[in-house]
Amino acid sequence: MKNRIKELRAKYNLTQEDLAKKVGVRRETIVFLEKGKYNPSLNLAHEVAKALETTINDLFIFDK
Amino acid sequence: MKKDKVYLAFIAVLAILVLATSCLYALEAEDFRSLIPVLVIAVIIIAMAFFVLTRYKDVRKGMPLHDERSKKVMHKAAATSFYVSLYWLLFISFFEGFFAKMFQAEHLTASQTVGGGIAGMAIMFLIFWVYYNKKG
Repeated sequence: MKNRIKELRAKYNLTQEDLAKKVGVRRETIVFLEKGKYNPSLNLAHEVAKALETTINDLFIFDK
Repeated sequence: MKKDKVYLAFIAVLAILVLATSCLYALEAEDFRSLIPVLVIAVIIIAMAFFVLTRYKDVRKGMPLHDERSKKVMHKAAATSFYVSLYWLLFISFFEGFFAKMFQAEHLTASQTVGGGIAGMAIMFLIFWVYYNKKG
């Protein structure tokens, strides 16, 4: 599963640490999310989408 | 946030107490073989110290101590180390004579066997935790 977290984070000029604090997770979780190495829960996906002012559908690209 | 700091302080105090007890034990040790349990404890304490230091820095920055990913990693590491430790206990029982020789005894005592099992499980947990934490 690909995502646009890095792209949108850059758009809003947020560091990984800023986004982690906003969402309430550890910075490593954001790193793994951006790399596509971790599939978040629906709740976390919603929180990240909300923090980046987008929707889950726009943020995560399901390629299967 | 405050709860996280109290939790980390509790782990740090626990680590210091275990280390102090191990040092007292090491002072009484007669030879290198009796120092093996102390060395195992030292490895675990070093890992705990690393964990506390890195997590304390993050908590001070305002990040949580645990999140859904770190909890998943911990659960997966615990489950895998439990599974592998069953083989480790089997290994100890098969090669009991070899381990008894290490302690210069005819047979292992119950406390030595249980201690070896728990120490092995703790080390395996550390290894799997590092592995799953890096793997993602």
